[in-house]
Amino acid sequence: MIGFLAKRFATIPLVVLGVVTILFIIFKSVPGDEAAFVAGATATQAEIEAVRVQLGLDRPLLEQYAKHVSGLVVGDFGYSTTFRGNPLPHVLNRLPATLALASAAILLTIVVGIPAGVVAAAYRNRLPDYLISLSVVGLLAIPNFWLGMILIAWLSVGLGLLPSFGASGPASLVIPTIALAARLIALLARMTRGVVIEELRKDYVRTARAKGLSKRLALRRHVLRNVMIPTVTVIGLQAGYLLGGSVVIERLFAWPGIGDLLLTAVSVRDYTLVQAIVLIFVVSFLVINIAVEVIYRFVNPRLRYA
Amino acid sequence: MKRRHFLTGAAGAALLSTLPVGSIRAFAQSASGVITYGQSTAVLTLDPAHGAFTGYPGGYEAALLIFDRLLDFDDDMTIVPQLAKAFTMSDDLQSCEIKLRSGVTFHDGTPCDAAAIKFNIERMMNKEINTTNRPLWNPISGAEVVDETTVVIRTSAPFAQLPNTLAHGSGAIVSPAAIEKFGEDGFAQNPVGAGPYMVQAFNPGQELTLTAFDSYWGEKPGASGVVFKFIAEPATRINAITTGAVDVIDSVPVQLVGQLEGSADVEVVRKPGLRPIGLAMNLTRPALADVKVRQALNLAVPVATIAEKVFFGFAKAPDSPLAFDAIGHKSVGETVFDQEQAKALLAEAGYTAGSDGMLAKDGAKLTLSLFAPDGLFPGDVSVAEIVAASLKQIGVDAQITKVEKGAYWDHLRQDKANLAWDMAMFGFNPSNASGTYHLASLFKSNADDEGKPDVWNIGRYRNAAVDELLNVADSAPEESARLEALGKAQELVWADAPYLWLQINENVSAVRNQVAGVTVMPIVFTNLRNAAKA
Repeated sequence: MIGFLAKRFATIPLVVLGVVTILFIIFKSVPGDEAAFVAGATATQAEIEAVRVQLGLDRPLLEQYAKHVSGLVVGDFGYSTTFRGNPLPHVLNRLPATLALASAAILLTIVVGIPAGVVAAAYRNRLPDYLISLSVVGLLAIPNFWLGMILIAWLSVGLGLLPSFGASGPASLVIPTIALAARLIALLARMTRGVVIEELRKDYVRTARAKGLSKRLALRRHVLRNVMIPTVTVIGLQAGYLLGGSVVIERLFAWPGIGDLLLTAVSVRDYTLVQAIVLIFVVSFLVINIAVEVIYRFVNPRLRYA
Repeated sequence: MKRRHFLTGAAGAALLSTLPVGSIRAFAQSASGVITYGQSTAVLTLDPAHGAFTGYPGGYEAALLIFDRLLDFDDDMTIVPQLAKAFTMSDDLQSCEIKLRSGVTFHDGTPCDAAAIKFNIERMMNKEINTTNRPLWNPISGAEVVDETTVVIRTSAPFAQLPNTLAHGSGAIVSPAAIEKFGEDGFAQNPVGAGPYMVQAFNPGQELTLTAFDSYWGEKPGASGVVFKFIAEPATRINAITTGAVDVIDSVPVQLVGQLEGSADVEVVRKPGLRPIGLAMNLTRPALADVKVRQALNLAVPVATIAEKVFFGFAKAPDSPLAFDAIGHKSVGETVFDQEQAKALLAEAGYTAGSDGMLAKDGAKLTLSLFAPDGLFPGDVSVAEIVAASLKQIGVDAQITKVEKGAYWDHLRQDKANLAWDMAMFGFNPSNASGTYHLASLFKSNADDEGKPDVWNIGRYRNAAVDELLNVADSAPEESARLEALGKAQELVWADAPYLWLQINENVSAVRNQVAGVTVMPIVFTNLRNAAKA
């Protein structure tokens, strides 16, 4: 296990360097003059040139790249015009809010998605199954920001039960979490239903039933364990989607996470800040993937002795 | 631990450990005496130098409460005293004497005296420290302390707009001691001024909490505190003010104003802006070098209807190259919609309609490339489409190119050889409210039309008479002479039609009833400086 983790974590710097290089190329090739943007709309040409020198944008590209990478090694992400310095502390300051939202969404997905799938499978082709399958189609079709707006209009503006925006305690987590998790819940429920139906047909279930186990116990003791394996895979794959979806949701709810900050950074052309946030996203994504693999070994004993 | 509990347990622990610590304040109503403002733009930095109060206008709006300036603008952009009790311009417009209020202190307790003012003026003069708003500060050549409450500011040439510069947001007076303490880079996150509110907590791009400054020299602040919250999404801002989670919001989209107008608790506040929108014409193109063609294009577009229908009446057709509230604005004309007259003018200019109804001259079709950004100006793409359709009706083929807003300025400020557009949407917001500054930025001849424009004369307009008048408007000793010159310059520019003039949009904010004294300034700022909450 230790060796496996060491190997996995060793790949992170390589991936990050690749991402840094790609981002650097992208930022240098997008249309638009960073210096002109920073100098502002009323700046004269002379002022724009002064800003260009100040930001080091007049240096050769390779020199800029080398300075940039060597800075990253020591955690210096460069000069963010927004924060007048290294943006990393400010990004890390906002990370908990994003993690809270993402973990709440994953938690909600597990608590709602798996039972819904199991119930639908157990009542296959009967009313509960139809209701759940219909909800699944609906949740997959609704864009998350639109669902968020509907929920705000109903629960917050209409009934006054929950805050409509911002992060002021656990209550304000409810609507954004539902909006973010809706699609994932539907995916997981649909997949769980399929896997359970397939597992119920297998020999080991027939054997268990023949030994006199009730259908419910056979489900709980034997089938669910095997259902966990594909489930963890799906959640792991979708965690990345959650990070992306959180950008839209954070903006809609003025949620103080890094997704919202990313959009702000883009709007003021603070490439240093954009890059810091994207790298945090990348590292989070890689760490989540490693975590999924660890959990995977936990739920699937066959892998441990492979 | 059973395995199937492991997952939920881990996720739950992760969730609890990362829950943001929220304020204990109930969300349904903001605290009594504290005004909460849901802003469309984030407050990121609070320093008049180093790029000046980003983002725009959010940072400037916060700065209005934290900092005092020597002079101030009232609601109609008239210049009034603030830290300066008296202000005397010399006859040659090359210096001014400022009498300061005595006994004023910054939030950190240090005195806001003549030495502090000198420090501030010199800091803004420094091109290394203050990279933006240079046209406002370049003319200033120095500041000297006469005694504790008297400062003389000098300019290198006659500069009638000096009061506008001092009243401008970047004229915010900062505490020299705080600059010393936090450094040039640190001050923007730890601002200290002499304004009615001081900073209690600042989370850039998220939330700024101000609290009333008890030792403020002027009238006591009307609220115990003001909280600026960044809410980018317009629908979210509207929900926030509807539920009472915030007291004030800005930048209400005109198509959503209806949602608020029916509410008994919320009042909509509107004010025409200082930024006339128009299509700059590329006068280096032979077709557009002909004034008759430019006048015809102006006659072909129903500007009043655009203001009425696209902007639901929250916009007005212009009557001058300057906006209504710009200092020195003079009504010099009106927008006329008359396509027959437009066709007649184009016929005079030598254009004849082909079999398809499109105009041509010497075998060349009158085809114009129209550049518009997507989301930089109000309704930019819709307005561009209406213009193109209207021009088609008189036989002019306008092809729209939509440009991503981040790249738009580069397309406008090109060398002459690289200008890809014949007409480009543009609007200038003179944040010092000076009509002279506005007109000179857009219409003063460039030093060299081949290179990039000096300021924003992107169409290469060139009129020696206008240049001369702008010079007089900037340097004549008598105010009446300056205004008269500026008025004449507006007439000449309007008649030359270097732009296809479009609409002047209104700034729309909304305020809950228990808050009084919120104003919307023509320069886009929603001003809470004099706001009070019951």
